[in-house]
Amino acid sequence: MRGLWGRHRWPELRRAQTNRLSTSHCVRVDLAVQPWLHSSVSRSSADSGSPGEWVLLSYRLPREPSGPRTTLWRRLKRLGVAQLSDGLVALPADARTRESLEWLADDVLAAGGTAGLWVAQPAAVAQERELATAMAATRAAEYRDLAGSCRAATTADPAERARALRRLRGEWRAINRRDFFPPPEREEAAVALRHLAAVAAQESPAVPEAAP
Amino acid sequence: MRWATRAGVHIDRAACAWLIRRFLDPDAEFVFVSDAAEVPADSTPFDMRGVELGHHGGDCSFETILRRHELTDPVLWRIAEIVHEADLDDERFDAPEAPGLDVVLRGLSMTGDDEHTLTISGPVFDGLYEFHRRRLLLGREPA
Repeated sequence: MRGLWGRHRWPELRRAQTNRLSTSHCVRVDLAVQPWLHSSVSRSSADSGSPGEWVLLSYRLPREPSGPRTTLWRRLKRLGVAQLSDGLVALPADARTRESLEWLADDVLAAGGTAGLWVAQPAAVAQERELATAMAATRAAEYRDLAGSCRAATTADPAERARALRRLRGEWRAINRRDFFPPPEREEAAVALRHLAAVAAQESPAVPEAAP
Repeated sequence: MRWATRAGVHIDRAACAWLIRRFLDPDAEFVFVSDAAEVPADSTPFDMRGVELGHHGGDCSFETILRRHELTDPVLWRIAEIVHEADLDDERFDAPEAPGLDVVLRGLSMTGDDEHTLTISGPVFDGLYEFHRRRLLLGREPA
């Protein structure tokens, strides 16, 4: 269910984003105008304007050894969680986010810590918006970095450029997966990536590299 | 034998079910539950929280089953890398097939029930196995 963007949109931002969307984002537009495509969770939030459901992981890990803490931190970062406070993180609830946090809860228990999984609703729309805005801002920074890397790679030599393109496409996918509230910077990064791909395709000599 | 797993099958559970039927228990019967409390007493649970055949130490359930059942077939371990990346996406392995396979399985879960997903994905994993078996034997991409 991870792909159901927009499931957790509050109306204003959704409208704002819909206006900015280009044709490449038609899926999101469809979701915005077809609320029945949303998961049951977001249906309630879309219809009534009330906050949606979030899945929360509360955890405590022993200070030592530091290995499990570092691993957990890396995995949480990869999932794009909102850190609500020390030992408490949140993601918009759907089957996938819930499963991801469930496995992490097990990891915490296996490392000798304590963990709890909760499904909760922010008490006010404003609180949810604040949370989502912070998450969007973090993603925006990642997209800006990506766009910068794309521009830098455009002037690199062909071999280096091809390597950078592969790496940056992977980064693009990774950021997308944890992007629950797409900021406008997403489109900026998409354009920079497409430009890099176009330059690479144009100028690369006939490299005898079989892989398509 | 009966095997139980969570309903709403995605890549890891689909791959595990294929692995179980093909390599461990040809007569395997699968039960899909929505809560751990619903797992029938006479069944072996997999890819669920807190069970032996789940995620352990950074492994996905497919890898766990290979380890617990001491399946050392290198082709299965290659498939394990793909399943791991499709499921966990932590870049532990280089598996370019993973994003595509993940999308196919997610799409299947949208168009049919869990039985349907297993019916369709079984031959897909058969094909994946054969491809990687030949690649391993040839030492290069098979035709």
